[in-house]
Amino acid sequence: MANNNEKQSKISAILDSDTFKGLLPFIGLVVILALMYWLTDGRLMQPKRLRLLLSQVYYPMIVAVGVFFIMTLGSIDFTEGSTLGVASIVVSMLSFYSIPLAIIGGILTGAAIGAINGFFHVKFRLQSFIVTICTMYLFRGVCAYLTTETAIPASAAIKALDSDGLKIGITVAVLVVAFFLFKFTRIGNDVKAVGSGETAARFSGVRTDRVKFFTFVAAGALTGLAAFVNVIKVGSITATAGNQLETQILISLVLGGLPITGGAKVRFSNIIVGTLMYTVLNNGLVMLGFESATQQLIKGIVFLIFVALTIDRKALKVIK
Amino acid sequence: MSDKILLKAENIDKKFGITHAVNNVSLTINAGEIRALIGENGSGKSTFCQMLCGIYTIGGGTFILDGQPVKVKNQVEANNLGISIIVQEMGTLSGLTVAENIFLGHEDPFMKGLIKDTRAMNNEAQRLLDEYGFKNIRAGAMIDNYNFEDRKLVEIVKATYMKPKILIVDETTTALSQNGRLELYKIMDAVRADGRSVIFISHDLREVLDHCDTISILRDGEYIDTVKSSDVDEDSIKRLMVGRDIGTAYYRTDYGKEISSEVVLSVKGVTVPGQIEDVNFELHRGEILGFGGLSECGMHEVGKAVFGASWNRQGSVKLADGTEITSIPQAIKKSIAYASKDRDNESIILNESIRNNAVLPSLDDLAEAHILKGRKLNKFAKEHVDRMQTKMQHINQFVSELSGGNKQKVVLARWLGKGSDILVLDSPTRGIDVKVKQAIYALMSELTAQGKSIIMISEEIPELLGMSDRILIMKDGKINGEFHRSENLSEEDLIAKMV
Repeated sequence: MANNNEKQSKISAILDSDTFKGLLPFIGLVVILALMYWLTDGRLMQPKRLRLLLSQVYYPMIVAVGVFFIMTLGSIDFTEGSTLGVASIVVSMLSFYSIPLAIIGGILTGAAIGAINGFFHVKFRLQSFIVTICTMYLFRGVCAYLTTETAIPASAAIKALDSDGLKIGITVAVLVVAFFLFKFTRIGNDVKAVGSGETAARFSGVRTDRVKFFTFVAAGALTGLAAFVNVIKVGSITATAGNQLETQILISLVLGGLPITGGAKVRFSNIIVGTLMYTVLNNGLVMLGFESATQQLIKGIVFLIFVALTIDRKALKVIK
Repeated sequence: MSDKILLKAENIDKKFGITHAVNNVSLTINAGEIRALIGENGSGKSTFCQMLCGIYTIGGGTFILDGQPVKVKNQVEANNLGISIIVQEMGTLSGLTVAENIFLGHEDPFMKGLIKDTRAMNNEAQRLLDEYGFKNIRAGAMIDNYNFEDRKLVEIVKATYMKPKILIVDETTTALSQNGRLELYKIMDAVRADGRSVIFISHDLREVLDHCDTISILRDGEYIDTVKSSDVDEDSIKRLMVGRDIGTAYYRTDYGKEISSEVVLSVKGVTVPGQIEDVNFELHRGEILGFGGLSECGMHEVGKAVFGASWNRQGSVKLADGTEITSIPQAIKKSIAYASKDRDNESIILNESIRNNAVLPSLDDLAEAHILKGRKLNKFAKEHVDRMQTKMQHINQFVSELSGGNKQKVVLARWLGKGSDILVLDSPTRGIDVKVKQAIYALMSELTAQGKSIIMISEEIPELLGMSDRILIMKDGKINGEFHRSENLSEEDLIAKMV
């Protein structure tokens, strides 16, 4: 009996260890890939399918990079979907004048929305949770207002840019730059320090307010860039553009192993693993021919199980 | 008082947010003892007792009553186990009768099926009130008809009629007149004569000395000592309450060191609303300037003000070269270091590695063209953490796993690494064992010998006397006295300026 208990405590120690928790997302990705491959008799990996799957990864992954930084702060952002919608409208409208102008316009629109979020979060010391829920409704409203009459079309020139090469190029460039900033500059250190202990970070010389504000601005700008990629792909913008994107990103990052409390335990790989996992699961369920209601149900169950398995209970605290 | 242990508290602990209200308190109370529990406001006396009787949940540790561990969920359960309390605030419920208040939670004996036998309850309550000598109080009347003192008397009956093993009297006497007090003392004496025990909380030291057998002192949530009432007087208890440390062997032994006339920092007319008012002083090169006072005197805010960390600071903090310090990043850049009293929240990032904590203030210095190299950071962190002889497994270990002393070593290591010339150390040895204390004191002497200057804010009077070249005592947010290092300086001299 005693031996059994010892074994159990050993097992639970392994299950609780950071190494195991760090590996779980990778294991999860492999399991879901294998499961979907098996269930779809390998159809999931057909080149045509794979291309479709990848095309759904680009813009969420770009957006997820920004949210990754925000969540590392220990904050949260619910405005990605509405920001993407508004920025896509701007990109579409400007695409008739010039493509570079459209890109810049999209990025600036996103950055402006990020600045609004950051301003209220930092200056008024409001929780990001509250601020971004409010601004989410606000910009969802703007998006709906601008598209009431008709969907907003983009120019033919911008649609002509649609190629995997460009989209992969942008996504990889964003990942590489973000990884560098996160790993090899003060920015990554400061963001993690704020997430791990904001007061102590402030007392160690980190300009915490500035770090938080610019993280929101940068995340908004990235969503603006993602809007460009989105417009290339879809060609015209309706009121539902970017709908539910925020929850998709949030759940992707959590699936990727990002602790919702942020701080020192975040890993850059969380972005890539999480986004891929979400997309594979999503596509697999479509291919298996489930109705959308059933898909949601299954997704919900998978997410719940996964979060319950991976979350770090020791570090639980209120999200800033 | 018998030798039989009635109550044993083992490592009792309680935190409210960041406030450590009761910090690892252990004590024992014998059967037939009246034990006073004293300490300043916020020392944790009430919280300790309220955990014992189930008003608060126990944060950590165990209470052992009569050999049985008890973990009380609420006051009714506490009463059933033989623990009762008379609380500081109003402890009776308005809208109920006197009798209903007395038997609150213990109505069962008066229940006939589902109906309460009011008359039986009133009769029993009146019998008790008469027995206690509170004949003017009518059991059947609404409690609201009586004044604060009478309601306290009802509470006394409520807390004692079932003959609890432990009676807690929490700051009750302030509500009572002389007669009421005498009644209460009589009841306490009766409890003792019966071989049961009383925990008596009071700020009136005269009363404590006259009516209690033994006295336990708490300070800032920590257990300080237990003394016999017959062995102490008011002054010596006061000293225990304000702060004293045992032994002085590890302090500086030199006297008569010449303080340099070179001023490295001057503070002029600094006011932080609600905290400090018009504080002026100069810090000299190579000097240890001590700041002392009671916890709430504002001395901790002085440290923050110098470091540029105060909100809404007025007045000026200037370096020798005329630079005005207005923000933390600027203070750090201008070679000021700060170790907070609130180490876990303000000094160190608990959920972060030793390495990242050690390099944080020096990141700009360590970057080459804004690029940080892991190997360089590791080397930097290791060098300075090792210099402090920090006990750890490796530098990627999280700071939260270290002891208080080793956390403080990491804090000091980071500032050693930064090479700061002015160190503001707020309660540098708070909650740290003797050995690490010694190391910290040695380091302070070493640093001042190198020409660095230290502001040491401390609640420990012997530490101030033992380490400072100069001591400023604060009271109510203002500097209230200045002392120079001398063998003849006594604790009493400092205390006189504090209170």
